[in-house]
Amino acid sequence: MFNKKKKEKQKKQQNDQQKKEAKKESKKEPISSNRYEFLQSLKEKLHSPSDLIIRYVSPTTTVIYVDNLVDISLLNEQVLKEVQNAKQGATPQDIHTNLKLPEVDVMDELNKTILEMLIGACIIHIEGFSEVVIAKISSIQSRGLSAPENESQVIGSQVGFNESIATNISLVRRYITNPDLCNEKFTLGHQTNTSLSLLYIHGIATEEQVNTVRQRITDLDIADIIDSAVLEGLIDDNSLSLFPQMLLTERPDRFCDGLLSGKVGILVNGSSMAILGPQSFIEFFQSREDQNLRWSIASFVRLLRFIAIFISIYLTPIYVATLTFHYEVIPQPLLVPLNESRAIVPFPPIIEALLLEIIIELLREAGAKLPTKVGQTIGIVGGIVIGTAAVQAGITSNILIIIVALGALSSFTTPNYMMGNAIRIIRFPIIILAGFWGYFGIMLAVCFIFTHLLRQTTLGAPYLAPFYPPRWKDWPDSIIRLPSTFLSRQGINNRNPQGNNQGENEGNNQKSEKKVTE
Amino acid sequence: MKETLHISNNQKINAFLLFFIVTATQIGVGIHGFQRVIYQDAKQDAWISVILSFLLAHIVVYIMMKTLDMYDSNDLYGIHIDIFGKYLGNFLNILYIFYCSSAFFVIVKNYTEVINTWVFPYLSSMFLCLSILSIIIYTFKGGFRVIIGICFFSFFFLLWIPPILIIPLKYSDLNYLLPILDNELKGILKGVMSMSFTIVGFEIINFVYPFLKNKTKYKRYVHLGMLFTLFLYLSIMFVSLTFFSGEQLMKTIWATLTLFGFIRLPFIERIEIITICLWMIIILPNLCLYMWAAYRGVQRMVNISVNKFLLIFSSIMFVSGIFINKRTDINLLNDWFGKYAFAVVFIYPFILFLCALLKRQIKKMQVSNSEKS
Amino acid sequence: MKKVKQLLLILIFCSFLIGCTETKILERISLATLIGYDVANENDENVTATVIIRQVSPDNKSTLETQTNTEATNQGTRIKVNLQTAKKMLAGQTHTILFGKNLAERGLEEPLHGLMMNSELSSSIYLAVVDGDAKPLIEGNYKNITDIGQHVYNLIDHNVQRQHTVSSTLHEVVRNNYSPLRDLAIPIIKKEKDIIKINALAIFAGSKMVGQLTSEEAFYVIMLRDKFKAGALELKLPGDTLDQEKNTDEKLHVAIDSIQSKRTIKLVDKSTPEYDVEVDLACRIVELHSNANVGKPDVTKKLEKAIGKEIEKELKRIVKYTQEKNSDIFGFGDDYYASVRNSNLTEEKWNELYPNAKVNFKVNIEIVRNGVFE
Repeated sequence: MFNKKKKEKQKKQQNDQQKKEAKKESKKEPISSNRYEFLQSLKEKLHSPSDLIIRYVSPTTTVIYVDNLVDISLLNEQVLKEVQNAKQGATPQDIHTNLKLPEVDVMDELNKTILEMLIGACIIHIEGFSEVVIAKISSIQSRGLSAPENESQVIGSQVGFNESIATNISLVRRYITNPDLCNEKFTLGHQTNTSLSLLYIHGIATEEQVNTVRQRITDLDIADIIDSAVLEGLIDDNSLSLFPQMLLTERPDRFCDGLLSGKVGILVNGSSMAILGPQSFIEFFQSREDQNLRWSIASFVRLLRFIAIFISIYLTPIYVATLTFHYEVIPQPLLVPLNESRAIVPFPPIIEALLLEIIIELLREAGAKLPTKVGQTIGIVGGIVIGTAAVQAGITSNILIIIVALGALSSFTTPNYMMGNAIRIIRFPIIILAGFWGYFGIMLAVCFIFTHLLRQTTLGAPYLAPFYPPRWKDWPDSIIRLPSTFLSRQGINNRNPQGNNQGENEGNNQKSEKKVTE
Repeated sequence: MKETLHISNNQKINAFLLFFIVTATQIGVGIHGFQRVIYQDAKQDAWISVILSFLLAHIVVYIMMKTLDMYDSNDLYGIHIDIFGKYLGNFLNILYIFYCSSAFFVIVKNYTEVINTWVFPYLSSMFLCLSILSIIIYTFKGGFRVIIGICFFSFFFLLWIPPILIIPLKYSDLNYLLPILDNELKGILKGVMSMSFTIVGFEIINFVYPFLKNKTKYKRYVHLGMLFTLFLYLSIMFVSLTFFSGEQLMKTIWATLTLFGFIRLPFIERIEIITICLWMIIILPNLCLYMWAAYRGVQRMVNISVNKFLLIFSSIMFVSGIFINKRTDINLLNDWFGKYAFAVVFIYPFILFLCALLKRQIKKMQVSNSEKS
Repeated sequence: MKKVKQLLLILIFCSFLIGCTETKILERISLATLIGYDVANENDENVTATVIIRQVSPDNKSTLETQTNTEATNQGTRIKVNLQTAKKMLAGQTHTILFGKNLAERGLEEPLHGLMMNSELSSSIYLAVVDGDAKPLIEGNYKNITDIGQHVYNLIDHNVQRQHTVSSTLHEVVRNNYSPLRDLAIPIIKKEKDIIKINALAIFAGSKMVGQLTSEEAFYVIMLRDKFKAGALELKLPGDTLDQEKNTDEKLHVAIDSIQSKRTIKLVDKSTPEYDVEVDLACRIVELHSNANVGKPDVTKKLEKAIGKEIEKELKRIVKYTQEKNSDIFGFGDDYYASVRNSNLTEEKWNELYPNAKVNFKVNIEIVRNGVFE
């Protein structure tokens, strides 16, 4: 049922796409050989912007570019110099050959020319020719490479993606020096014309999954993409689900690690987050850093994270359920402190818990929006002040404060922000269920979550793999992480059925890969 | 033989998942209080009844699988039609669908009864029924693989039971098991029959069979699954027999839960309350698979969409659930269902097997006759 | 798809509407922690229940309240108690239940049945008989006891764990009560000025209390019923055990602990019936009021023999006493039933058999080690 609809939608989209393409083709405009006409049409298209610079170098030659988009020094030293020195009657072809620039092109189509110019090219028009020379001298304005802020790790590289796709691709290329690393370019969004790259390693990535991603990207008919997170929401399997089905990462090492284990990656221009898929539920809780640690420590850390998920999702609901319905299960020594801490609280536990959870969320949200230094202060001061005041005022019990704080703390151990969000949000409905029907309500929620996770897929692969469907071979690298001799490089979820899979003879491959990353 | 079901490859499951399917379907609400029923018949030899009933179940399941193996890839409904023709076959199919539906109903009723008695005396059983139904519908809509996934995960919610049984073992008295075989054989055999309510569930392989990827080595997983159930039932039976005195066990309606109620851990008391709520995920695959089996049957007879089936099925379950609410009614229902299940699960497969053999012989003869002529 | 989703939504919505249930929010209920039952009147069925109720007052302090009421059934009493308290009373945190001696003598059948039927109560709570009535013990003022409910529970619990007295969880009591061949033994507690102490062991025939053993004798009861994992005992041996010159009347005091014992009961003759009971006991000497060198093998042997004899004597006496009272607290009947096929043993028959049963004891003592100072 669901698929059918999706297919219909896709068909519709395809039709639209075709129509639009047809439209575009019919609009294919030639470049006028007349300077005046050419400039006129250019201005018309661009709505005569103030930063369009037109320089009449000679009676026949014009250089046009958008201010601030081009590299001034290159413009001066190469383009203008060459054009001025050019002989009278030089054809665009001559200039093309003479220009000492890495990327020069000759075009005869107006719209494409304009697009190039908007990216940062400089156009040289010569009277009498319906072709223009395009010198790509765009000045890349991007911030320098800095440490990834959202996914920091102690051991491992400290470099993160930045907003320029060129830099990001170069980063990836430096991690993986491999002719099989494929890079497919797409332009998406008819308002923004954002460029994006589909990256995968040929022979390791599953053909089917690459096709799926390619298909989903080309089927998209959207106006704009500002960030890769938007794209991720558009191309994952079930965007209605609370849980993300593709990974957003700002770490090149994590990204490359994914590519090497057969995943498909997408880089979007203007966004410092790369998309990686297929990503199973378990993999969201694994950090790249785990591979850098000794296996025993990595296993411990992973187990800790999974306990943290449990605490973060269920601890507050269990508190609410126990205090509302199941006082019998409290051991006698714990009964007195619990009872006394709750004595003057005027609300039932469900209200109390929701109140405190919302306060914590408020603090977190405020901390995230404020500048880093102020944010931290707000978090700590707010937490302490509000917490103490709330207990003293008798609005909440101090035991609940501990529980809620523990829950919030645990939710931050998730190495992925998106998944961390999901874990935090899912608590609220469970608290409400627990407040209404105690442990029965919690169990309803557990069943629902299990079923929901089972129903999800990630690029067509099961979301709960390797647990279900059970793939015993992948289990050593799931909740725990055994020494590398027990592991296969590539999960079955993204294993290429015909390809030369890595990890068939694990030991060797492991070593060679390590060399590559070094 | 000729008729086969065509199941697409991505719908199929690995054979070893049968282990989880069998344990998930066998372990349901019966485990809460099966000791009493069997003790009534077999006294201190109740554990022998448990073993014997599993022995019988192994034989039955072997016969079932033999019957299934005669057909390439077909479920029981198809086999019925092939052997008995359209009308009688469909009639038998209706009986089996009725069996699956009543199993569903009995499980829901028993579970709500337990919740009402132990945890929420004032909670409307209509609400319990509705909430369980909504979860089942959600799971069911996910398709066969999701149902099997729930089977798989529910298995891990059982694993804590055997270790926790060590605690009441401290209070047990082995004398209560003695003297062995002091009762008439009749009582033990009667106990075997009483087990049928608790032990059924493995008949689901009749319907899962066409969905198996590898049909050559699946038998061992079914037997293994049943062995695990046997282990669980037997350990609970042993502990209960030695933990309770006879008269007391006879008066304890849910002996397993009373047993758990006795256990006191340093951080938690009254484990039975948690157990009861936790049991939802144990009965969920049970319910889903019975519903699914019923759906497969209905789908064969009438062309019905999933949604319509869900709507009709759940409203029947819900409405009939309103009328049966008293403990005495539920006990009657359990007794009746136990007998029905015994007939359907333990006796009928032999008849079916003989019929299938006969049919094959006749066909062979026909073929050879036609070759001769 | 849409329809099903709508249906699901309606289902969930309906669930919320009809799914209201009674809440038991911790601080809005009052918890009974200790319940005592007494005979209200010699002539009728009514039982007086005294309940210790733990409540929390808004100034963050737990307060205890005692409520007493008389009614024929538990539930009746509870309704009456609820009429007297500001918060709903619930019994799920009850850990101890006390019975007045009079009630115990009248029979515990009905109270026990009532307790088992209630799913609110765990079967791991302790039962005890009060020397006298339960009410004065519960209502009494104690200088050093703040929470009498918890105090009584801890008192019984730690003594049971240390095997100083017979374990009397509701489950075990009910188990013995419903087993026709075995009788109950429940510790007796007594109020003595400012303290509460475990005073003795009540023994029952059927469900009626018929006699009592001292708390020292409880040790032997446990030895016969079960095995020891860690027991302690003080013995008075005859004076001439180690020193021939001393008089027999002069007592030699010995204390042993870390006792580990195991008993095997064998039915030798099923008509009388006659039992052979063998007790293997390993222990450590902690105190010995003598200068004899315990390190010497012959001294140890002498001691072992004397201790064994003493224990045998005590065991014999206690079994005799229970036979007089016709109270089979050791489970000889169960052994009889377990080892005789087709015995068709009924309660009446066993009641006739037990007083005449012959029990032969053999106690093997092994002193494993003795202190750090010889």
